Amino acid sequence: MKVFFAFGFLILIAFLGSRFLFRGKKFLTPTNYFILSGLIYVFLGIVLGKHGLNVLSPEVLKGLHPLISLGLGWIGFLFGFQLEFRYLRRFPRKFIGLSFLQSFFVFALVSLSFAWILSVLFSSQPSYLLYGMAVAFGLLASLSSPTLLNFATSMLPRKGDYYYLARFLVSVSGFWAVSGLILISSFWRYPFSAQKIFLEGLILFSSLLLFALLIGSVFHLLTRKRAREQDVFVFLLSLVFFASGAAFFFNLPPLCVCMVMGVTLSNLTRIQEKIYPLLLSAEKPFYITFLILIGALWELDFEYTIAILVGLIVILRVIGFSLPLKPVGGLLDFPYPLPFRFGLCFLSPGGIAVAFAISIKLMYPLPLTDIFFSAALLSIIISEFVSPWALKISLLRLESEE
Amino acid sequence: MSIIVLFLVFAVMLFLRSPLSAPFSLPEQGSSLALGFIMIFAFLGGKNINRLKLPQITGYILAGIVCGPYLLKLLQTGEVHDLQLLDGLALSLIALTAGGEMDREKLRGNWRAITFLVFFQTVFIVGGVILFVWLFRSFFPFFSGKPGLEVLALSLLLGTLATATSPSTTVAVITESRAKGKYTDLVLSVAVVKDFALIIFFAFSLSFSKSLVFPGQAFDFGFLLHILSEIGGSVLLGIAVGIGVTFYLKFVKKEITVFVLSVAFFTYQISQSFGWHPLLVCLLAGFLVKNFSSQGESLIDALERSSVPVFIIFFAISGASIDLGALRTSWILALTFVIWRGILKFCGTYAGGKLAKEDSVIKRKSWAGFISQAGVALGMAIIIERTFPSWGGEFKALVLTVIAINQIIGPVLLQRFLANVGETGKKDSEFRPRH
Repeated sequence: MKVFFAFGFLILIAFLGSRFLFRGKKFLTPTNYFILSGLIYVFLGIVLGKHGLNVLSPEVLKGLHPLISLGLGWIGFLFGFQLEFRYLRRFPRKFIGLSFLQSFFVFALVSLSFAWILSVLFSSQPSYLLYGMAVAFGLLASLSSPTLLNFATSMLPRKGDYYYLARFLVSVSGFWAVSGLILISSFWRYPFSAQKIFLEGLILFSSLLLFALLIGSVFHLLTRKRAREQDVFVFLLSLVFFASGAAFFFNLPPLCVCMVMGVTLSNLTRIQEKIYPLLLSAEKPFYITFLILIGALWELDFEYTIAILVGLIVILRVIGFSLPLKPVGGLLDFPYPLPFRFGLCFLSPGGIAVAFAISIKLMYPLPLTDIFFSAALLSIIISEFVSPWALKISLLRLESEE
Repeated sequence: MSIIVLFLVFAVMLFLRSPLSAPFSLPEQGSSLALGFIMIFAFLGGKNINRLKLPQITGYILAGIVCGPYLLKLLQTGEVHDLQLLDGLALSLIALTAGGEMDREKLRGNWRAITFLVFFQTVFIVGGVILFVWLFRSFFPFFSGKPGLEVLALSLLLGTLATATSPSTTVAVITESRAKGKYTDLVLSVAVVKDFALIIFFAFSLSFSKSLVFPGQAFDFGFLLHILSEIGGSVLLGIAVGIGVTFYLKFVKKEITVFVLSVAFFTYQISQSFGWHPLLVCLLAGFLVKNFSSQGESLIDALERSSVPVFIIFFAISGASIDLGALRTSWILALTFVIWRGILKFCGTYAGGKLAKEDSVIKRKSWAGFISQAGVALGMAIIIERTFPSWGGEFKALVLTVIAINQIIGPVLLQRFLANVGETGKKDSEFRPRH
């Protein structure tokens, strides 16, 4: 009964939230963007969770697990569905090179730094666990979201080269990080075992890809001939549930399975214009519900170690996104200069970073992952606050100077 | 193609639940998998069964039976229980749809027929079941050695239960068949009106039966006051919800799908917590929006957009909940009872139709709309089991078997007869998403 009540309560909040809090904000201020990004619902989740009113108690959250599964699957599918190769091919190949090298640089910088700092802060923990966490931090840090750029589009005096490059980079960066998550979830599997790691990892890795490809193809087969929009919506909902449910069943991240499924469908189907509006029409309520549940799942550990990790991740992201631009631009022979400050427009991690963080927490139910989750969420919140200002001094100024 | 995909999804699920995948899996994390699987499998099952001219909801129910915990166990008992969370939401959506489909003018025109059909169905079925039980009581295991008064009490309750129809199934079949016409209107109206008449009649039967079975307990007229307060509360809430929905659809017009889901959910919650009837509340709300505002189409459009996934799960889970063990042990008696109930339905509707001076289509064919049984009958069986614990269990097992058979054949019959009278496919139900 409590689960039933909580479920209805979430529907109501999702309705009110979609109705009132996502209304267009005209000015690019940190507060406006923070509201628009939806992260405010994480705080609502904290209030409703076990540290607050206990409406979303651990027992209720267990019953509402399918909603978390759906949220993760929906984010992954929506992200993957936007990776249509026919569209991406229109951009110069050096864009992909820059995207990969920039993401890799952030990943390497954060992972190596965190491997050291985690071994200092948590010296009693086994090294394989600390290195795994360092990799997870690295992948999380390399994520960048297009939401802020979409919000700022109307404020740009003109849309020049920097805008299109930034747009490409924020749209693709998640692909590298989520691909990395596929690898760590397959080869660094909980409960950890010293035996057959590679073989089991390989089986899981290939099964995950095959399964996601299969479900994506099934979706395409079902909608290939004339399908009613009502039917497409049922296929969408049920297959995302099925794929994300299967992922959870094997302790794999639904974000990854559904991203591959989305990529598969996006590149097979010819009815993007029918599927995309359906995805977007359900996105807001699902996303709000998801964020509330994330807040309720948050253990709220506030230790000095977390403050150190948060500070470090925020600073390393600024360095990581900015520093490689000039050398990589030269290496790839970009026709226009890529100044360091251009890297500041990639600081907004967005919903996909939240989904990434909760995926790690759910896959590895350990005290250390609670610390990871707290540090990740706090760094996301800080980055979202800072990112409008960073965008102003980077892209908006570069575009006006161009 | 969808049949290939159906088997493909089925094979994938079999593999996922097989011992081959067991070393890698976490069985306690199966609820989302179960939900996704049953939604796609039942939906495709419904689509394919539709090719055999059977209603989609029969496909949903059969998919639930096949994959449920009593047959292939692709859905575990706990998962089925978890998914029943959506029952309340589905019932509210169904009732809102039913209310939104009812036209005031047509109801007024059919009022005489509705009254006669409800009255004669009830009289024939209750009378016929009492007679049947009295004649064949030696075949009913729970009647053996019982005194005459107790048998009378039991048969009255069984008769009341046999009168029940599932308005949710009726609405689902009518919506799915895109049926429109006099037969459709009458079947829908009678199913809904009878449901409420039955709630009152059941309270009377239960009170009367208790006074027969437990001699010290006098007949309690207090139930009348109780029922009146329940109906009054339901009507008031229904009016409030109807006005609220109308204002929202007229002046706000945003996020209608999530709004309708919230309304359906909270109406159910509020009704349940006050002991009111969510079905009556939502039905009245839908009826008010349709008939006393210009927002009826918007409501139906939003309901069509939001309700299909909920309906699929609702009917598939109702199939998965059918206890096949009980069906195996009592199917002969249950089948005989189902046939007898069908005959009584025919006689009751024929008599009602004749006295209401309806045409031969209504007289001869409307009985098919009242065969399905689901939630209301099940709820009554549970109350009877609790009230008379000494024989309630066996009684409930028989009733569950009867409900299971009726729920399988009922939608098929209704769809066949809707097609037979030429009222299917007359309504456009394609929806267009708003962005």
